Amino acid sequence: MKKLYIFIAVLFIPWSFSLAKYDEFEDGDDIMEYDDNDFAEFEDVSEDTVTESPQRIITTEDDEEEATVELEGQDENQEDFDDTDTQEGDTESEPYDDEEFEGYEEKPDASHSKSKDPITIVNVPAHLQNSWESYYMEILMVTGLLAYIMNYIIGKNKNNRLAHAWFNTHRELLESNFALVGDDGTNKEATSTGKLNQENEHIYNLWCSGRVCCEGMLIQLKFLKRQDLLNVLARMMRPASDQVQIKVTMNDEDMDTYVFAVGTRKALVRLQKEMQDLSEFCSDKPKSGAKYGLPDSLAILSEMGEVTEGMMDAKMIHFLTHYADKIESVQFSDQFSGPKLMQEEGQLTKLPETKKTLLFTFNVPGSGNTSPKDMESLLPLMSMVIYSIDKAKKFRLNREGKQKADKNRARVEENFLKLTHVQRQEAAQSRREEKKRAEKERIMNEEDPEKQRRLEEAALRREQKKLEKKQMKMKQIKVKAM
Amino acid sequence: LTEPPSPGRYKPPATETNPALEDPTPDYMNLLGMVFSMCGLMLKLKWCAWIAVYCSFISFANSRSSEDTKQMMSSFMLSISAVVMSYLQNPQPMSPPW
Repeated sequence: MKKLYIFIAVLFIPWSFSLAKYDEFEDGDDIMEYDDNDFAEFEDVSEDTVTESPQRIITTEDDEEEATVELEGQDENQEDFDDTDTQEGDTESEPYDDEEFEGYEEKPDASHSKSKDPITIVNVPAHLQNSWESYYMEILMVTGLLAYIMNYIIGKNKNNRLAHAWFNTHRELLESNFALVGDDGTNKEATSTGKLNQENEHIYNLWCSGRVCCEGMLIQLKFLKRQDLLNVLARMMRPASDQVQIKVTMNDEDMDTYVFAVGTRKALVRLQKEMQDLSEFCSDKPKSGAKYGLPDSLAILSEMGEVTEGMMDAKMIHFLTHYADKIESVQFSDQFSGPKLMQEEGQLTKLPETKKTLLFTFNVPGSGNTSPKDMESLLPLMSMVIYSIDKAKKFRLNREGKQKADKNRARVEENFLKLTHVQRQEAAQSRREEKKRAEKERIMNEEDPEKQRRLEEAALRREQKKLEKKQMKMKQIKVKAM
Repeated sequence: LTEPPSPGRYKPPATETNPALEDPTPDYMNLLGMVFSMCGLMLKLKWCAWIAVYCSFISFANSRSSEDTKQMMSSFMLSISAVVMSYLQNPQPMSPPW
């Protein structure tokens, strides 16, 4: 549908060009009138000589353009006069009378002598030329547009092929692990569509669900924007790769409380700044994973050492070392709430909702120049994901670890409350003032003066009571302090 | 424990992460396209109109599927009309800036 619109619209452009060009020919009429005036000197001899011989000496001084238009004017002249009196037709057939053309003979001589002078060709301004060549900028523009459209179609198809290649490779593994593979949210019941859900020309989603331990897994194939020529050009300066992002939402009872991440140093530094949970719970800088045998490119961010110890078992280390070039980041967190929200001071009154999640970001090899075959190399990474799900379920902190974890969480919450304490106070204060104002308004609106008085008295009494209570409290505190 | 006894769960939360947060390109390009086509129409500048066409194409290429095709089509038609109008008013070819 979209393609059809494009083609129709592109057809408009050359059509409009042809429309624009026809306007030029209307100007021919004006110049014809000048021709009439030029022949005025011959009117004395005979009225009919206005018809003039069709031969007209074109001096080299004239513009090329004027010449062509005058010829046209001549043609039109002749057409007009053919329709009118036959008299004029007769005079044309008469042999030329030399007397009539006395002044005329000089002209050929004049032109002869002038032809010896160098011919100066005047540059005709571009807009007066009638050739397509003068429109080279427009042709360039249209070519650019066509190139963009071609790139769009090619890029779209490539992304499509890559996505389906990925899916075909992974389909078996997914279907053996999940009951529901592929769902786009439109059906009422949860039935497997078995297809990728295309969100964009470069983003494909897949929702898998129906496995023990996890609520569901959302896989996002985030390809490069191959359909946008600008992006393609930008990527020539700065290479980037396609990414596969996997987000596994765990059931509450299936994961213990810890925050842990491993990945490339650059990615971890960025995540630590951006992600709410990593920034709050993992305060240290990313540490090298060399202690566990990880390659130098990978680093670890962890809430506490025990978590790292528990996570880095043999199989995990094997996965991480073998596929280190494809791993961008891996994050296990029970306090995951997404990236930090940039909010103004007064708005943050509640802690953002957290969910127990495992996040994986993998880079597709090829750094942009991927072929469908590269998708096969991502299959072991999916196995790693499945393994991690099971591991996260099995891994439990020991008593010490649990205490530390709980303390951490309590600390974070306290900090948050302190920060917002001022705001919450202000909020409560403003609410109270609102109530008072509402009361006063009610009293004012009360028409009956008696009622008014009574309400006022009631309000006054309430105020006094409050004051007394406060005083009592202050006294109690003072006593306690002493 | 690969084949689960638990029933197949829900549909996706449909990537609630606000799409406007992720990539503002199509919106910017749409706006730019409209601004340029207005410039092209009012000030009778041909190059403005051409840039507007390009912006509208770029916005289309980057758009999300959830976005309104009507919006896209209207910006597209506006830019095309800007080009056509500038040429109807002034059939001269565009002169390069150098």
